[in-house]
Amino acid sequence: MNDQEFVRFVEVQKTFDGETLVVKDLSFSMRKGEFLTLLGPSGSGKTTTLLMLAGFERPTGGDIHLDGQPLSRVPSHKRDLGMVFQDYALFPHMNVFENVAFPLGIRKLPKTEIGTKVASVLEIVKLAGFEDRRPNQLSGGQQQRVALARALVFGPRLVLMDEPLGALDKQLREQMQLEIKHIQEDLGITVVYVTHDQQEALTMSDRIAVFNEGRVYQLDTPDELYENPRNSFVAQFIGENNRLSGAVSGLTGELCEVELDGGGRVKALPVNVGEVGSRTQLSVRPERVAIDGDVREDANRLDARIEELIYQGDTTRVRLRLACGVDDFVVKLTNTRRQELHPVGAPVSVVFSAEDCRALDEP
Amino acid sequence: MVFDFFFFERLWTITRRGYVVLVLFFLIVPIIAVVPLSFNAEPFFTYPMPGLSLQWYTELFSSDSWQRAIRVSFTVGLAVTVLATFLGTFAALGLTMVNFRLKALVIGLLVSPIMVPHLITGVGMFFLYAWAGVIYTIWGLILAHTVLALPFVILTVTATLANFNVNLIRAGANLGANPMRVFFRIILPLILPGVLAGAVLAFVASFDELIIAILISGADYKTIPRQMWSGVREEFSPVITAAATVLIGFSILVMGCAEALRRRITRLRGARQF
Amino acid sequence: MNDAIAQGGPTGFETTYLKRQLKRVEREKKLVAFGLMLPALLYMVANFVVPVGVILFKSVDDRGVSTVLHRTSAAIADWAGGELPDESVYAALVADLKKSEPARTTHIAAKRLNSAKTGYQALLKQTARRVSKMDAIAPGAAKETLLGIDKRWADSAYWATIKRTANPVTPVYLLSAVDLTLNEGGDIVRSPEYMRVYNKVWVRTFWMSTIITLLCLAMGYPVAYEMAHARPRVANVMIVLVLVPFWTSLLVRTTAWVVLLQNEGVLNDFGLWAGWWAERVQLIHNRFGVYVAMSHILLPFMVLPLYAIMRRIPPDYMRAAKSLGANPLAAFLKVYVPLTRHGVGAGALFVFILAAGFYVTPELVGGSRDQMISYFIAFYADETLNWGAAAALSALLLLLTAAMFFLMNVLFGINKMKMQ
Repeated sequence: MNDQEFVRFVEVQKTFDGETLVVKDLSFSMRKGEFLTLLGPSGSGKTTTLLMLAGFERPTGGDIHLDGQPLSRVPSHKRDLGMVFQDYALFPHMNVFENVAFPLGIRKLPKTEIGTKVASVLEIVKLAGFEDRRPNQLSGGQQQRVALARALVFGPRLVLMDEPLGALDKQLREQMQLEIKHIQEDLGITVVYVTHDQQEALTMSDRIAVFNEGRVYQLDTPDELYENPRNSFVAQFIGENNRLSGAVSGLTGELCEVELDGGGRVKALPVNVGEVGSRTQLSVRPERVAIDGDVREDANRLDARIEELIYQGDTTRVRLRLACGVDDFVVKLTNTRRQELHPVGAPVSVVFSAEDCRALDEP
Repeated sequence: MVFDFFFFERLWTITRRGYVVLVLFFLIVPIIAVVPLSFNAEPFFTYPMPGLSLQWYTELFSSDSWQRAIRVSFTVGLAVTVLATFLGTFAALGLTMVNFRLKALVIGLLVSPIMVPHLITGVGMFFLYAWAGVIYTIWGLILAHTVLALPFVILTVTATLANFNVNLIRAGANLGANPMRVFFRIILPLILPGVLAGAVLAFVASFDELIIAILISGADYKTIPRQMWSGVREEFSPVITAAATVLIGFSILVMGCAEALRRRITRLRGARQF
Repeated sequence: MNDAIAQGGPTGFETTYLKRQLKRVEREKKLVAFGLMLPALLYMVANFVVPVGVILFKSVDDRGVSTVLHRTSAAIADWAGGELPDESVYAALVADLKKSEPARTTHIAAKRLNSAKTGYQALLKQTARRVSKMDAIAPGAAKETLLGIDKRWADSAYWATIKRTANPVTPVYLLSAVDLTLNEGGDIVRSPEYMRVYNKVWVRTFWMSTIITLLCLAMGYPVAYEMAHARPRVANVMIVLVLVPFWTSLLVRTTAWVVLLQNEGVLNDFGLWAGWWAERVQLIHNRFGVYVAMSHILLPFMVLPLYAIMRRIPPDYMRAAKSLGANPLAAFLKVYVPLTRHGVGAGALFVFILAAGFYVTPELVGGSRDQMISYFIAFYADETLNWGAAAALSALLLLLTAAMFFLMNVLFGINKMKMQ
């Protein structure tokens, strides 16, 4: 079978009430050994997609293929997928060893083999010595590790994780992100990971599928998503973003010209726009804008006034009001020693190149 | 002493608590007061008692009719417990699994024997069982008492299942267990305290039932309450107080079991932490 | 790579198609669920729904005359009343009696007719005996024959009675359960004075249940309040004090009250000793005894739902009310009490419905003027075997119960409170 299409969603649909689709015509594929994250706001269909892959929800249309085999007639207990649940779902009546040994016992492995396998997986998740504890005697992070061990121990074809770090505090979460990533790389396992935390997704993933309203808006590597968002939802959802609304007034080769709603013209990269005259939303990253910088020939320059300065340690965020009326335009400046900043109220100009200004669809 | 707000607040609190103590006294004293009278040496029903004796207990446990009543009550009670626990646990599982349009109606139907006066249910059963030929038999009594016991099992098990974490079932399936295994290794062990609590309630529902027993049990299968009923109405002897004392002790025992099970359910619920 | 980039725009799917797809997916799960529910459902239908249905049926069932005298019943349907019916009706009666006498079913019709018109039992039985001994009666001679047996067959009132009771369904039992009856003309009128008992009993049932509900509320609300807000150790003791009576059988508790309230009993002696009364007072076999015993038995049903609700009220609500300037009484009345209304509704409903159906306790500790409607149901069902009357009273009691349930639901929203 083709390792490039290890998991394949083909026009998958899901509805719970027969009226609205929670997942709409979903098609994508992932390769073996990949760490793929389903990222999106709550209610975007990412968890439903995961549950369909695991077999707890049946698609109302389309099909999912795993390793070339359609899954529609395969019940969840025969899919051989390890899953880590948001609430861990550790069996409260079993201790750590029994929880981790559960999938091996079900598969009728010999006792000695179960012992060695459980011991080695607990070693990997750094829980050796905790075999006799009950789940309610463990901390959140430890429960998380048991859940991970239980999902890995039987060598599943695929590991699914549904916001597994959502219940942990920030520091522990960042530590676990790296641990999970390292385990995944060391063991070469294929992971489908669900989260609503973009930082987590950027840190861990090989590729990210950005979900919204039951659709994948873009599926790309983290840097592509950030640098080259294909539509305004992704631009807005990943990272910080300045938005300017306007209409396309001219298309000239590689670039386009946009007439801003409050007056003024800028040159931009036409990524997702229509004919001359169509509406568009421009996306500019705050760190790609200079204040009173050198004027290159093709750069955009807009008059502005400083409204607010927010000191954030390594950077200072400058909020500006543009001449076109936008008053939440943000520029991020890296702080250097003895830096002279303009005072609040000072008239300045903001400068950014046309390549850093992406003309996208109007949401 | 200052008659300020806090003085009156304090006074009010004391009055309120005093009243509550009186009500609790009213609740418990009648039950406790009967117990010593059953050890009275004389057939009187008041204090002070002239002397102590176990004669009423001897009479109770040596009497043929009481012995038969005890046998009938336990036989019927245990049969009802088994039948109601099976039917009720399966029904509760089914009810928890799905939502459908007539669900409220189905639950209403399954639970309504609690709310319908037993006398009405009993009169109806009299007709039906007379026609079916099970009237005045032990089978009729078992069938009838199961109707009253079933709602308790369904309510208890449904309540236990309402707190059940669906992800545990998913985790079981995900780790390779087929539905039967998931049921026996994950669901059943976790809801067992709820099922047992339902079973205890089912037993008590049958064991304490009187009205339907009056109507359909006949002379050969008198239960303990039925026997006691005859006793209270016909010749009120201190044997009744001895029987009452035994039943009170039995109730407290059963209550202790039910309470222990309830705490175990709560503890398992507490185990479901993030 | 199959990146699915959002194109925007609504999907053009018909919802009917989606619903069909959804159903297909859900069907399997539903089948399993119904399979699990089915045994319990069938059991309940057979052993509970059918018996209650039988009661409702028996409360209007009047097939005595229409089955035994089915030819007469059919023939008399065309008779307008007034003058005597024509020959065909007489012939039908003769034919019916010739059949019923050897089948020994005459008495069923006779008894039913007698309850509508006195003297009918003897008339019908005697006529049937005479008719059955005769040989075949010549066509057209039936009227003559019957008049020869008894002059009363020439009285159209007797025929009107047959016509009135020929209907297999009758409102008579239900009417008499509220002291109404049908007169000979078939109009609804009040029962004769000496038979008017039930309305008084219905009012009494309703009144006594209301008083007991109020007594339980007055005793139960403070207890539940203290229980919900006491220190855990104290609360546990209080719960035990409520649960012990709750788990003790109703008959045992009633018996305890019989023992305590007797003329030679503990309470009477105690009152004498304490100087509450100078000579023995009647504490049992009167309304006082019934109220005491029944509110004792039903009090836990009030306390437990209230406690369940009160325990879940976070103290912040009362604190907030007080911080906003409400005095303790205002905070209690405007914030606390409204928060407990589902519990009050559930408790009151339990107590009222159970009280209205009580039989054992009033029977043992009440006097003859303290009996509620259940006493009469038991009396007819267990002693006089008047099934029509027992069924009609049961049907009305069931109606009262259901009405109470819906009323409480409207007033308090019981559905919002999970049964404990």
